[in-house]
Amino acid sequence: MRNNIGKYAATIAWPVLVTALILLAWELSVRALGIRSIILPPPSVVFETMAQRHDLLFAHLWPSLYLTVLGFVLSVIGGIVVAVLITYSAIVRKGFYPVIVVSQVIPKISIAPLFIVWFGTGTMSSLLLAFLVAFFPMTINAAMGFESIDEDIHRMARTFMGSRWQIFWKIRMPNALPYIFGGMKISITLAIIGVIVSEFVASQEGIGYLIKLAGGLLDTPLMLAAIVALSISGLALYAIIAAAESWAVYWQPPPEAVGVAGG
Amino acid sequence: MRSAVASPPPGLAPGRARGDGAAIVRITALKKTFGDLEAIRQMSFDVGDGEFLSVLGPSGCGKSTLLMMIAGLIDPTAGEIRVQDAKVAGPRREVGVVFQSPVLLPWRTVLQNVLFPIELLKLPRPQYRRRAMELLRMAKIDEYAGLLPRQLSGGMRQRVAICRALVHDPSILLMDEPFSALDAITRDEMAVELQRIWQANRKTVIFVTHSIREAAFLSDRVVVMGRRPATIIDELAIDLPRPRHIAVTEDETFNRLVRHLRKAIEASHAE
Repeated sequence: MRNNIGKYAATIAWPVLVTALILLAWELSVRALGIRSIILPPPSVVFETMAQRHDLLFAHLWPSLYLTVLGFVLSVIGGIVVAVLITYSAIVRKGFYPVIVVSQVIPKISIAPLFIVWFGTGTMSSLLLAFLVAFFPMTINAAMGFESIDEDIHRMARTFMGSRWQIFWKIRMPNALPYIFGGMKISITLAIIGVIVSEFVASQEGIGYLIKLAGGLLDTPLMLAAIVALSISGLALYAIIAAAESWAVYWQPPPEAVGVAGG
Repeated sequence: MRSAVASPPPGLAPGRARGDGAAIVRITALKKTFGDLEAIRQMSFDVGDGEFLSVLGPSGCGKSTLLMMIAGLIDPTAGEIRVQDAKVAGPRREVGVVFQSPVLLPWRTVLQNVLFPIELLKLPRPQYRRRAMELLRMAKIDEYAGLLPRQLSGGMRQRVAICRALVHDPSILLMDEPFSALDAITRDEMAVELQRIWQANRKTVIFVTHSIREAAFLSDRVVVMGRRPATIIDELAIDLPRPRHIAVTEDETFNRLVRHLRKAIEASHAE
């Protein structure tokens, strides 16, 4: 146990050290070269801005995070439901699944302005875009998880007269869990992107709106403060899912490196 | 629940198909084709209650197909299989199957894996939990009951699979080359263990293997299958006293039986 914690500390120590060095280099070079804050503020100024204007940052962060999480949760539920249909319905598998896979090539972000036309500049557009971009990787991963059960395991369950229902809950579902969590990790990052892009396009609140507003005012420190706050939130959401994964998928040894497919 | 009811008197050799008559599995004019591929041409044999029968044959001769048909997982093309006088038309409760690989569920502990059939068959769990622990003790893996499969060696995992196949107290145990993935030393060990477990439980066993030594060591009777399209080309009773120790494999009697079986298989290849 102590050994595990030691290993964990070692894997954390290096990236933290590298990050600290980058921040230090940034701080020193900005000061040494006399770059103006409007072009690139040093990290100290960014953190100062975050501390001073935390009310403003939080006011815009919450609605964005709320929509992100809501869109994400809907995409997880929707993705799993559709994946079950893909697994059990030949029509859905043969007709819809290929369409879903091919539709992956559409840059869904480009639909954002269309959503504004359809659903207005309110939260509905942001929520739907978050859902849309997060839904596909979720569906595909979950479907892969349900499908990928070993033929021998399936046969074994059949010799013990397992019903479809039993095979789904006792075999397919746990078997799919690692895939579902893999999909969730991709989906949460995409849901954030969906919300932010939608806020860029048209919105009166949200962290995406704040970033755009600060850009318009040439308030670069505020812009960077918002970006950092957003990044930290994204990291926290990802960490929550990763923690839930290692709790739920207890039978798998922790992977050496976490790979995330981008969308 | 009638666990030990049908057991013959202790200390005696279990029954055979020939002699005491009571066949528990009857295979009549069995035929199986997959499209154009003729896997099994024609096959008939009986398995006696409590008998340890090996089906020996070269790789790809249709041994596993035969076993899967007895298990009710595949339908025969023609002919019929009867288990306890009922025609096999699907998986049956009185049959337990051990596959080539252990096929354990990685998210379940050893004990939970052994109890898996109990859940599927909706049998009373507390009662069978005791039985599962007994089986694990008999297989000498009871101390690992709380571990996950990935924490066990290949041999241990296959022992868990054997316990799982026995937990609901089936009358017939079907084993599909269960030790073929294990190393030679573990394999010998497992053969001895299996004999011990079988003697304690008195199940009918149909054991599919391509190992002549394994078949000769374990069985009361060996049925030899020829190459595809398969038929039965030989049948041999193994009258060695039990319990057999691994040293028996060095005896002249044992080696004569092995030679006989080898010749039968070679003859089928020469055709």
